[in-house]
Amino acid sequence: MFGLFDFGGLVHVSILLVNAIAILSEDRFLARIGWGNTPSDPGFGGVPDSQSIKAKMVNLIASVRTLMRIPLIGINTAVIIYELLLG
Amino acid sequence: MQRPHYSNIPPAHSPPLHHPVPQHVSTVPQLRSPPPPAPQPQQSGYGYPQQQQGAGGGYMQPAFGGFMNDSTAQMGFQVGKSAVMAGQEYVEQNLNRYVSMSVLKHYFNVSNSYVVNKMYLVLFPWRHRPWSRQQRMSSNGQDGYFLPPREDINSPDMYIPVMAFVTYILVSTLIAGLRGAFRPELLGVTATAAFVVVFVEILALKLGCYLLSISNESQLLDLIAYSGYKFIGVIVTLVVSEVVNRGGGAGGWVGWTVFAYTFLANAFFLLRSLKYVLLPEDSPHSAGGAMHTVARSQRTRRTQFLFIYSYIVQLVFMWALSRQETGPKVIRA
Repeated sequence: MFGLFDFGGLVHVSILLVNAIAILSEDRFLARIGWGNTPSDPGFGGVPDSQSIKAKMVNLIASVRTLMRIPLIGINTAVIIYELLLG
Repeated sequence: MQRPHYSNIPPAHSPPLHHPVPQHVSTVPQLRSPPPPAPQPQQSGYGYPQQQQGAGGGYMQPAFGGFMNDSTAQMGFQVGKSAVMAGQEYVEQNLNRYVSMSVLKHYFNVSNSYVVNKMYLVLFPWRHRPWSRQQRMSSNGQDGYFLPPREDINSPDMYIPVMAFVTYILVSTLIAGLRGAFRPELLGVTATAAFVVVFVEILALKLGCYLLSISNESQLLDLIAYSGYKFIGVIVTLVVSEVVNRGGGAGGWVGWTVFAYTFLANAFFLLRSLKYVLLPEDSPHSAGGAMHTVARSQRTRRTQFLFIYSYIVQLVFMWALSRQETGPKVIRA
């Protein structure tokens, strides 16, 4: 069963992943590889492409970053204290 | 109609400071006919410790002879009762904000024949012909609402998934106990594991829907219900493999065959059911605003997503749920 399953490990992994998403730099990294959050081009005739998977992923990453930066500070502090206390 | 047995208070010559013996703590509220008359010196001696507790917590205490005559005790009891009522109202209000009860009631509106047919359908879905949920156009001009599970075999319900979930926990714990690997935490661990599986699955589904811009018209409870149906297959696998292997775990020929069969049945069932949820092809009553024509590549992508979800994701989760903890090895001397 899942008696051997490590829930603490799952939580750790998810926190690490969210941290990784949060510290991606917008202009140094994401714009370089074309995943930047492009502002809408007024000269563009049609609707900006917001339906493709890539656009959605970019949007998701940007929203995770703006949303989770502050709570992550608290969560990381809590995990650090927890790890310090329990070794 | 009066309960006659409250006159057997301990005799008068017990000291007034003895701790109260809990005599049949009944849950009947204190609306009884007046208590049998008790001799006075007992009453004053007895009223004292009772009064302390009555005013303190206001919890239900069987009325002795002299209890209700004490005005302080009565007041304490009233306070307690109003506190309990206020607490209940508060809980109801907050609960109604998160989970609306009428919606839940729709999901539990099942009948016996529905349950039996649905379980048969989950385990043997290949012959079933119309898979779409039946709707009835409601009278107030809005979109039609779906028929409750009692009248529509294709409608998802929450009764079967909840029961299957609990049965899965009990069966896997029982099997672990038969093998000698039982520990009391196993119940909680299994429950948490199953919760995590359902949660991760719903998360993956929602993520996929967002990435593929599938507008999800069906509710969250529908998805939870659909992901709860796989517990039926897992239970069948566990029971059959336990019976046949006699404690040898879920491996072996029979175990894997049953597992493969239930997995395929569950995947087919999900494929057909979720087709109407995830691939809205030409829904005549979609929202008038964002009616973007679904490009062909998107449709194939969505179909691929549905396939991947139904087969591979379910395979992973069903396998994960069928794993068993190996007990202490029996050494044959």
